Amino acid sequence: DEGFDELNTNKVRATTLDPIIQLNAATLGLAFPTATLIYEVGVVQQVISPNSGVLTGANYNQDNRASTQVNWQNYYQNVVKNTSDVISRTKDIPAQSNVYNMARIVQAHAFMILTDTYGSVPFTEAGRGYSDQIFFPAYDTQESIYPQIIQELDQAGAALSLSGKIETADILYKGSIPQWKAYANSLLLRAGMRLSRVNPTLAQQVVAKAAPAVILANSGNALIAHDANYTNPIGNMLNSTEASNFFLAAPFVNYLKATGDPRLRAIAVTYVGAKSGPEQTPANASSDPAIQVGMPMGNDNAGAVKAAAAAGLASFYEFAQVDRRRITKLQAPNFLVTASQNLLLLAEARNRGWITTGTVEEYYRNAVIAHMNQISSIDPASTIPQAAIDQYLAANPFDPAKALEQINTQYWISSFLNGPEAFANFRRSGFPVLQENPFPGREVPFINRLTYPNSEISVNGENVGAAISAQGPDDLATKVWWHK
Amino acid sequence: QWALAQYKEALASSDRFQSEGGAVTSFALRDGLTSLESQFDVSIAFKDDLVAQKTVRVSKKKYRSVEEGLDELLKNSGLTYEKAGARFFVIYPKKGEKTKPDGNLNSPLTASLTSFPLTPSAPVLTVSDRSDRARRFDVTVTGKVLDENGNGFPGVNILVKGTSTGAVTNTAGDFSINVPDGNAVLVFSFVGYISQEVSVQNRSVVNITMKVDESDLEEVVVTALGIEKSAKSLGFATSKVKSDELTINRTPNLMNALQGKVAGVNISSLGTGPGGTSKIRIRGQSSISGQNNPLIVINGVPIDNTNFGTNPGNNASDNSIGVRGGGNTSDGGDGLSSINPDDVETMTILKGAAAAALYGSRAKDGVIMITTKTKGDTQGIGVTYNLNYTNETPLDFTDYQYEYGQGEQGVRPTAPNPTSGQWSFGEKFQPGMTHILYDGLEVPYVPQKGIIGDFFRNGQNVTNSITLTSTGDKGGLSLSFANLDSKGIVPNNTYNRKTLNLGFGYDLSPKFSFGGNINYSQEENENAPNIGQQDNTIPVALYNMANSMPLEILKENAYNAVGDEIVYSRFRNRTNPYFTLDKQFQNVRRDRVFGNIHVKYKILPWLSVQGRVGQDYWSRDQDYNNFPTGQASRAPAPAGFVNGVYTQESRRFREINTDFLFSANKTFGDFGTNFTFGGNHMERRSDLNSVQVTDFVIRDLYTVQNGRAKDPIYDLNERAVNSLYGSAEVAYRNRLFLTGTLRNDWFSTLSKDNRSILYPSVSASWVFTESVSSGLINFGKLRVAYAEVGSDSDVGPYSNVLFYNVNANLLNGQPVGGPLGGTLPNPNLRPMRIGETEVGFELNMLNSRVTLDVAAYRKLTTDQIVSAQISDASGYLNTSINSGQSSNKGIETLLTLVPVENESFVWESTFNAAYNVTEVLSLLTDTPGERITVGTHVFNGELRQIVGMEMAQIAGFGYKRDEQGRKIFAANGLPIRTPDLVNFGSALPKWIGGWNNSFNYKGIAFSFLIDFKLGGKMLSGTNFNATRHGLHKMTLEGREGGVVGDGVNEAGETNTAVAPVQSYWEVVRSQALVEPVIYDAGYWKLRQVTLSYDFTKHLPAEQPFRSVKLSLVANNVLMIKKWVDNIDPESFGYSSDNLVGMESTGLPTTRGLGFNLNVKF
Repeated sequence: DEGFDELNTNKVRATTLDPIIQLNAATLGLAFPTATLIYEVGVVQQVISPNSGVLTGANYNQDNRASTQVNWQNYYQNVVKNTSDVISRTKDIPAQSNVYNMARIVQAHAFMILTDTYGSVPFTEAGRGYSDQIFFPAYDTQESIYPQIIQELDQAGAALSLSGKIETADILYKGSIPQWKAYANSLLLRAGMRLSRVNPTLAQQVVAKAAPAVILANSGNALIAHDANYTNPIGNMLNSTEASNFFLAAPFVNYLKATGDPRLRAIAVTYVGAKSGPEQTPANASSDPAIQVGMPMGNDNAGAVKAAAAAGLASFYEFAQVDRRRITKLQAPNFLVTASQNLLLLAEARNRGWITTGTVEEYYRNAVIAHMNQISSIDPASTIPQAAIDQYLAANPFDPAKALEQINTQYWISSFLNGPEAFANFRRSGFPVLQENPFPGREVPFINRLTYPNSEISVNGENVGAAISAQGPDDLATKVWWHK
Repeated sequence: QWALAQYKEALASSDRFQSEGGAVTSFALRDGLTSLESQFDVSIAFKDDLVAQKTVRVSKKKYRSVEEGLDELLKNSGLTYEKAGARFFVIYPKKGEKTKPDGNLNSPLTASLTSFPLTPSAPVLTVSDRSDRARRFDVTVTGKVLDENGNGFPGVNILVKGTSTGAVTNTAGDFSINVPDGNAVLVFSFVGYISQEVSVQNRSVVNITMKVDESDLEEVVVTALGIEKSAKSLGFATSKVKSDELTINRTPNLMNALQGKVAGVNISSLGTGPGGTSKIRIRGQSSISGQNNPLIVINGVPIDNTNFGTNPGNNASDNSIGVRGGGNTSDGGDGLSSINPDDVETMTILKGAAAAALYGSRAKDGVIMITTKTKGDTQGIGVTYNLNYTNETPLDFTDYQYEYGQGEQGVRPTAPNPTSGQWSFGEKFQPGMTHILYDGLEVPYVPQKGIIGDFFRNGQNVTNSITLTSTGDKGGLSLSFANLDSKGIVPNNTYNRKTLNLGFGYDLSPKFSFGGNINYSQEENENAPNIGQQDNTIPVALYNMANSMPLEILKENAYNAVGDEIVYSRFRNRTNPYFTLDKQFQNVRRDRVFGNIHVKYKILPWLSVQGRVGQDYWSRDQDYNNFPTGQASRAPAPAGFVNGVYTQESRRFREINTDFLFSANKTFGDFGTNFTFGGNHMERRSDLNSVQVTDFVIRDLYTVQNGRAKDPIYDLNERAVNSLYGSAEVAYRNRLFLTGTLRNDWFSTLSKDNRSILYPSVSASWVFTESVSSGLINFGKLRVAYAEVGSDSDVGPYSNVLFYNVNANLLNGQPVGGPLGGTLPNPNLRPMRIGETEVGFELNMLNSRVTLDVAAYRKLTTDQIVSAQISDASGYLNTSINSGQSSNKGIETLLTLVPVENESFVWESTFNAAYNVTEVLSLLTDTPGERITVGTHVFNGELRQIVGMEMAQIAGFGYKRDEQGRKIFAANGLPIRTPDLVNFGSALPKWIGGWNNSFNYKGIAFSFLIDFKLGGKMLSGTNFNATRHGLHKMTLEGREGGVVGDGVNEAGETNTAVAPVQSYWEVVRSQALVEPVIYDAGYWKLRQVTLSYDFTKHLPAEQPFRSVKLSLVANNVLMIKKWVDNIDPESFGYSSDNLVGMESTGLPTTRGLGFNLNVKF
């Protein structure tokens, strides 16, 4: 066996990698997976499909585990796996302190989405398969996870240093320390506000700490800039297998129409006279807000046919859609954290008196402007002129009496296509006020969480079982801790 | 060859033979016999190959009689003789020693006329008892006795039945005998041949052909490393396959022809086209999550059997090679597919660890040993031509509902409704209805039955092979060429295999010999069909096609003028089958050379040494468009490009085995001993170049240069094993045998501390009929064996390290990368160990009318490398751990009966059955109920290993039931599923076997084989889809007004809630509630029917043909019994054991009808 060690050494594969390259993979993994369109975006009644099978989800308020597990798989396998590896490889190397702390921030972001989606999830022991040989991690309660997320974001953001190595290969901010700090603080603000019902004291404390240094301009938005090789997952689905199967939901379209919102023209399309999917061609496309008809909630295929007839459409393929050639085109960016969202959270914080700078209205107006400009940035054909913005704000002035409702309804619009955030904030704030999904076969009137993956039930049964017995049944009705 | 020792030759050697004093001398047996002939002026007949290569050592000076001489010369040769006439002796093997003539068409027993020294005018020998001399028999009958190859048969005894009058055939096989009258009956007999009684019926000439009594003979078995052993010395089970079984009723992958024929060997032909994989499991599967393929050995040297089968959802590691980039789930074949069955001389299957112990690690799942031809069956030059043709008809087992047509939620597609395409939850068919498809194509709303038969064509396999042989006294060679042309049932699928084989052996001197074989094959597999998945998968789209969708509409509207697929269903992943057919392609071409050369030297008469080098080299080029441009399920390309994915790859593989072997044979009194000692160095290297490109500049130009985003890979794998091994055998009086082996392997893939493993085997055999004599039992043997084998087979090279990979393409100019794959490395893996105990016995009763071979075994596999699915919250999907333990227990029986046997009719009935149960004893720990998931179904459900249960449990969600077993329904009328996945049972069959009956009536041979696999479960993906799409007949329930499930609500009251019919049945998908589509996977099939006739005896004397044999063959003839709806339980094709039972629609199985013509010149 002379030479066996050499023989068993791979000559063509790498055994190490610059951690920033791996952090890029993790950051890319933050992009919202396609199944968020089946659940989260539908739960908040913005986009739905009448189709069953794999598309069963918030359209019927039914548990379709092929889709409920997708967040889990995406955030653990693509984000936590890589961030954990980066963290364990860099934590003791002072020269790599910045990339270490950036990884902690990205990881905290992923954990926030995970716990918001499912409630109890593996946290302390997660992502430690390689470093600590933990193959079947225990679950932590959301109540215990949130303080740790907050602590991570706080510490990691603070530890980022201009004197350390600047990771220019970073896909989020080219390694810019101030921008990463603002991103960390924005997540901190988000985490703090999440606890507004369940632990206002902590919430206030965190928000107050984070507020002074969050992203406030679109130029600082945390976004994945998709390109031809790394396309937007939702954009990809809406341009391929499900090109003609998802529609803007009536509550969303109706709200935008009722408020004369110029964003409707920027995001919606209807294919006039389309009788089938393939007839949804650019030639008969129209973005005229007046003729956009949202698909009513709670319809299966047969119901949609009736609804289309009732609305006087040629077929249900004529219902309004999110325009896959503009706003959900293949290379459309994924907005992870935006100035608009932050401004709205600050508006609410100011309204609650948790922060003292600025006025609620100022935050509110700037948030609306920021989101409209954000949409303009996606595609020239979605540009919203300043005049339209002004007109909208004039027509829909801020009303302090309805502050929470207005702010969180705007948050709903601002978080369009950011399913996990729209879903979380809807549950937390209770706004906008949406009607129950009337589908006759629904399992719940509202979806409060998504169900665990079958794989966890299969291989990590003991731990998931303990989580279920503490948290409540593994169904769509059980509420997560901060929602109770 | 039959031969008489020659007088002339004898003169030269007789002096030496005659003149020695007391010294022991050694000389060729043949020379000794020649001397006897000349000394005593007698004729001695024998078959050449019995005598060839044998030497004798005698110390006797002179012999008083020819009998004494023969006694002495044949003492240790395993031969005996019979005095067939006054001056005529015939030599034949002792019972239990004779080389079995394999019973094949190309038997080496053919006599050669040129070797006969005597002219046809030699005297006809007649023997008569003195007492009969008084009786005058006036009628003289003459004739000729032929052997099974049509050559004159000397030395055959002929007796007039009821008298002691007899005769013996002369060297040319002629005889003459006087009989009392025209009603006399002649009895022809010769040891090792079936005795025949022939009525004279007033004829003056009676010609007959003797037939080998196969059951009477005992075999020499080629065991591990090519060592030949007498079958009775073996302490373990082996099965020998006649080459007829491979060549007459043949299949493109040679092993598939053996389905149901070999006890304890489970062969599954996968429904994946003619170039596909054959899945072989010997004595069940033992590996919890790794591979269970037997080792393939050709002429003593292993060859590669890399499997390119389809394995979507395989979570564990079994070293199967998948396809990059999605969109392609075809079966790329295995290593066995490049073997031409015509080149196979014998095939021996070593089943247990004891049999295979000398092959070590790779033989843990048994060995298939193939010996190829190295010479002809006649002296001189022989030519054999074989033509085989089969026509394959696709079989449609669907029994769908045709009451309600295409549509969803009870509505058919009428304007302005959507296209449905894949759903049959529409309206009840009524006369005159129409529906609208494809944007305005209005067609009648009528059932479209039989689309499976309409879409697929009949397949065809044509094999032409020609073999040239040359055979001389010192050796021979065999050169063959074969061409297999196969048309798959998918209209664009073809498979061509050309094989060229050269085998040779030559004795340079009595001490020094060499031999070898070289096999070159070239395979081209075009458009191997995709199975099991959705995109581009013709069977899945077709089996789920809405039941009123006309095929011609699909065909005419597959794509538009540009070539873009026209959407026919909202379910875009169900690619239009005609789009796939026209637009997707795949070319696989493999060139392969394998072979080995050995030299053997006899250092001393009892000691020889052999050196051998063997190589298997192949290169395999493959290219395919994963997603053709314009496929509806793909997003458009960026501006300036067209979409699509294309992959081009090239693999090279080389395995070199170098070995040496010392063999010693020595006899000490009653004890015979045999020692071998050898070593082997195995080295394997494979590398891969692969480029995948996405999007193209120029449409329909599938090249890597034309691609937009390119993703190249180069990969290299190397591994080596060094081994030393030895065996010792002690035989006592040829009736008690004890064999021990010891082997040590060193594996390159394991760490230094775990690299070396030593393992022994011991086996014993007791031929009790040699000491216990019984009239009923002719031969009986007991055997017992224990063996250990170690293996690194589930450890890939470099599996100790975590590798990183940087994606080929930058994201906005920045690199993206991470750990390669989802499997956690484990640097501390040890070799797994297998310990197997086996006992068996063989019986031959009533003169071979009844033979029985029974084996029972228990195999314990420990330290298994378990590729366990772990929580993905750990970051990884699987890891490998050395903790698995499983046990296989089973019994194999082979019973052969000959209920009828007379001169015109023989009926032989063979029944083989094997029972095997494999239990998982330990995974990460041995806590009962602990489980791992090794594979997931493409749609829903999974395959698990669970401690304390049978291996390969199919798991999925079932119906939640109350204590009385009633289903529980929710308020919305839908069934509630169990809170956890439930186990539906093992997917592995418990019983496999076959029942073969062969009849021979005056040369017309007819046989049929019924085979079965019983006791396994399956999760049927075809029925899963048929249920959710409304094709399955059970979905007829509730079409009008919805389904009220039979059961209770959550309060325990009778369920009255009405569920919409489509939602009700879609729970298999939406809730993963797969219980309705769990089936018993067993079947009984009429597997093969063969009708053969040998025309040789009807041929006129003056023509070039030596023999002509025609067989009519039928394969997969009739499904006798099955339990699964709508499919043949065999029609799915995942080669991985981690997906066993996870059926997803494969190609329909086919019924083959054809013929085999064998002509020898």
